[in-house]
Amino acid sequence: MKPVKFDYHAPASLDEALALLRRYGGDAKILAGGQSLMPLLNFRLSRPAALVDLNRIPSLAYIEEHDGQVRFGAMTRQRMIEFSPLVARRLPLLREATKWVGHLPIRTRGTIGGSIAHADPSAEYPAVLTALDGEVVARGPKGERVVKAKDLFVTYLTTSLEPDEILVEVRLPATDAGAGFALEEFARRHGDFAIVAIAALVVPDGARCRAARLATAGAGPVPVRLRAAEQILERDGLTDAAIDAAAGRAAELVSPDSDIHASADYRRHLTAVLTRRALRRALRVAHG
Amino acid sequence: MPLIGAPVRRVEDARFLTGQGRYVADLTLPRMLHVAFLRSPHAHAGIVSIDAHPARELPGVLACITGDEIATQARPMRAESRMAGYHPTECPPLARGKVRFAGEAVAAVLAESRYTAEDALELVDVRYATLPVVGTPEAAMAGGAALVHEAAGSNVLLTRAFVQGDVDGAMRDAALVVGDRFRFHRHAGVTIENRACLADWNPGVGELTLWSSTQVPGLLREGLAALLDLPVHRLRVVAPDVGGGFGVKSALYPEEVAVCALARLTGRPVQWVADRREDLLTSTQAWDETIDAELAVNADGTIRGLRARVVADVGAYSIHPWTAAIEVVQVISFLPGPYRVEHYRGEAWGVATNKAPMGPYRGVGRPVSTFVTEALVDRAARRLGMDPVALRLRNLIRPDELPYRSPSGVVWDSGSFVESLERARDAAGYEHVRAEQERARRAGRYVGVGVACYVELTGVGSAIPASPGAAISTGTEGATVRVDPGGTVTASFGLACHGQGHETTLAQVVAEELGARLEDVRVVSGDTAAGPVGTGTYASRSAVIGGGAAILAARALREKALAIAAHLLEVSADDLTLGDGRATVRGTPHRGLTLREIAGAAYAGAKRLPKGMEPGLEATRFYDPYFGTASNATHIAVVEVDPETCAVIVRRFVVVEDCGRIINPLIVEGQAIGGVAQGVGAALLEEVVYADDGQLLTGSLMDYLVPTAAELPAVEVVHLEHPSPTTLGGFKGVGEGGTIGAPAAVANAIADALQPFGMELSELPATPDRLFRLLSRPRTTSSPETP
Ligand SMILES: Cc1cc2nc3c(=O)[nH]c(=O)nc-3n(C[C@H](O)[C@H](O)[C@H](O)COP(=O)(O)OP(=O)(O)OC[C@H]3O[C@@H](n4cnc5c(N)ncnc54)[C@H](O)[C@@H]3O)c2cc1C
Repeated sequence: MKPVKFDYHAPASLDEALALLRRYGGDAKILAGGQSLMPLLNFRLSRPAALVDLNRIPSLAYIEEHDGQVRFGAMTRQRMIEFSPLVARRLPLLREATKWVGHLPIRTRGTIGGSIAHADPSAEYPAVLTALDGEVVARGPKGERVVKAKDLFVTYLTTSLEPDEILVEVRLPATDAGAGFALEEFARRHGDFAIVAIAALVVPDGARCRAARLATAGAGPVPVRLRAAEQILERDGLTDAAIDAAAGRAAELVSPDSDIHASADYRRHLTAVLTRRALRRALRVAHG
Repeated sequence: MPLIGAPVRRVEDARFLTGQGRYVADLTLPRMLHVAFLRSPHAHAGIVSIDAHPARELPGVLACITGDEIATQARPMRAESRMAGYHPTECPPLARGKVRFAGEAVAAVLAESRYTAEDALELVDVRYATLPVVGTPEAAMAGGAALVHEAAGSNVLLTRAFVQGDVDGAMRDAALVVGDRFRFHRHAGVTIENRACLADWNPGVGELTLWSSTQVPGLLREGLAALLDLPVHRLRVVAPDVGGGFGVKSALYPEEVAVCALARLTGRPVQWVADRREDLLTSTQAWDETIDAELAVNADGTIRGLRARVVADVGAYSIHPWTAAIEVVQVISFLPGPYRVEHYRGEAWGVATNKAPMGPYRGVGRPVSTFVTEALVDRAARRLGMDPVALRLRNLIRPDELPYRSPSGVVWDSGSFVESLERARDAAGYEHVRAEQERARRAGRYVGVGVACYVELTGVGSAIPASPGAAISTGTEGATVRVDPGGTVTASFGLACHGQGHETTLAQVVAEELGARLEDVRVVSGDTAAGPVGTGTYASRSAVIGGGAAILAARALREKALAIAAHLLEVSADDLTLGDGRATVRGTPHRGLTLREIAGAAYAGAKRLPKGMEPGLEATRFYDPYFGTASNATHIAVVEVDPETCAVIVRRFVVVEDCGRIINPLIVEGQAIGGVAQGVGAALLEEVVYADDGQLLTGSLMDYLVPTAAELPAVEVVHLEHPSPTTLGGFKGVGEGGTIGAPAAVANAIADALQPFGMELSELPATPDRLFRLLSRPRTTSSPETP
């Protein structure tokens, strides 16, 4: 478990980093927190000619609110997010999700940009990005572009970002007061990637539901937005019957794969169970 | 206060906790080379050709050696046994002719760094001709199956049976027979430190030194001497600090043979440090058994008979020196458990497949036998409408029946089977837990209580060989205790500690028996050049056998020290006491001599010693407990199952154990808790999975799941202390027990929790996916247990 030889660069600016990526013509890898990339290198599953380390670019780590969005520099550590008062106030779902990401030492190094760019379908942040209709900003040789969550995740460990693009910012719409949220997850052990997780956000409006947002982790090759289940709630309100119906619908909307930890059937079953639990808890949170 | 029994803090912990431990990977020698092994990507394939030239050309690479080349340096391992129905297998240090499991070493690259060596591995061109993969024992036993070892003539490497009475008659006549097919899947004994070894050949004196992360330096020395054609005294094997063994480091491995051969071949020290992937691919694995078992009981719950057929997947090789019989034969040895079982038949098959070899793992056989028997006992209780504790109490062997010869021939010299169950029942607050369970059920929560009783044989002496006619003796150990002229004491052993705290417990024994101060006693082990002949640490033997030898040697020294002191003080030895490092005249405490003064005299020679006394203050004694002694416990687990997510949470865990006279209660408790952690892991999480083509799917700790603190309950440990009547010191082994009872207790608790769903649990680990499939199965009203 020793990596193949590679060049190592630690640029001090984004432009320098972009130039390096261009120089290696798709053969370089970006190093963020290294929590996913280092194992891949050690297993020789990833064999880049060079690493471009973003850890020396201080301008890439920040959390700020702008235009109703909370914006994160790609290199913001998960641990920063866990303890950010801004996130606690304006994006409580992300805060809750963060506690499910690995263990403390991993969150101390791991970044929001790395987690999303890595596109592990069992990871929590991609599910939250998908549920909340978030977007990322990518910078490449041709300048910056904004990519919507639904256009970002292609399949397992694959995004629509180009090899010479750097994910520089993650944007999530801030949550209005009065909304309820929950992330329900089932993992084999504390800190493991999700077998299935459901990120839920509901905005109740009296007996009605103004908006519902649901997305999965672990239930397929990409995070799945459960729009048809959301629609049941937006139509019928947040009654027990509507929640049960939405949970049942959620299970039909996913096409999970089997692996040694869970069969497709079990994952589908969990999708329904966790959707129901997440919605019930989100509703309780909304009602304070 | 006596030292034996005192809760002394472990003296080795300061070293380990501050990062001062020294493991094989910490050692480096001048001119040392690193070796990386090229491992077979196929589970079963002929080796057509190997082209190592491009690898040898890489700068920094010294050599690339193949199986045929190393064969001139070392013989293949062959684990012999005279057991009828056993076929040994040959295991070369590097594969020759064919590979038998994915991960088997095919070539070795020696380079200046491990990085370069791994780069070179990619340049070795091996052409394989794939063979049909023998994936399961069923496939292996089917007509026309490919043979893993052509020379064995069969994939069935061993068969064995233990029979007592007329079990078929007992089944016919019984009021109730419960039975099922049980399955305990393959398990890996994950140690914190991966395997590692370093060999150094000294051509001047013709001596080879091997440092290895092993439990058995003595066994390694004997085995390697034969394979390398070296006299035993030209080999030194050292186990420095070792980060866990659990049985996995108790076999001789091909890598150990290979580094020795490579060091001799190149004339340079050669080091191999397994990475986690190699360790999961190639270290011995455990269990993987299918057990068809039936229990016959009378209407009042009295057990009449037990019948079982056990088929084990022993993997690709019969390991040295334990053989492929080590696990499965112990299953049939211990299936009757601590119960009165009049009629018994246990049959075992060990079947070769294209997987990593099967070996001993903490508990060996007994975690599986206890799972099966305890599950059957619970089912019988349910069918008879009896409480499971009551049914056990009716059948447990009582103190007045001891010694008791079990139907497999094991003799229980002692035991507190009834008492440990009663105490566990009380410690758990059994009635209270049952009432809670009722309340929880009414609230839609599924709580279960599981009981498991077991007895095991520990400190096994020479009467019971590792296998019939085994080439090694495992029944004895020695201790050399030396008081130096400084008055400090060195106690050396052939044992090899890998986490058990011997530096503390054996020092307690020596200090008390000799009369030395604890801080003056240093324990040395794990080095064949530093201690008496011995084998190592495994099978819960060190406290019993090593402790016995320590007692004998320390007592001999005490007597000599007293004789010297009596001579110098001109009193009778009977008038002296020796304790806390000082011999004192009874009634005159100011008159006495320190151990240092006595030792000074001992080495000063004839001038100061009684007439005719040999100088020196050192003694070596050996001990053989002959049969060994029974250690027992009851475990009670309380779990909660979420029938929707199929999650299992272990809420409570109670252990009431009897390891005889306790040397150090802190260490006994630590052993019990650590064992329970591994047992809970076995019950819920840990499983080695191979694909149909023989590829290992659990090749990292992301996929092979060991429990973390978050998955474990606080373990409540209660000690019973009935000294062994048959061993010196009264000690009984305690290293493995935690792992023996826990899987069964957790399994029974899960089954108990799921009773409202009318189902039984017969497969471990009880993963959420398995529970999901169980719970999704259409419910039948007829009981599945009716034979
Ligand atoms: C034991 C363990 C448990 C874990 N458990 C979880 C868990 O439960 N949930 C979870 O979500 N994660 C988990 N992780 C993963 C962890 O959260 C990682 O931090 C995360 O997946 C990757 O972030 P990173 O910053 O470490 O990225 P890196 O490992 O450095 O990079 C990951 C990938 O993203 C690319 N990349 C990184 N940053 C950028 C960027 N700015 N632009 C473009 N590409 C980029 C890299 O090139 C690489 O391909 C776990 C990790 C470990 C080791």
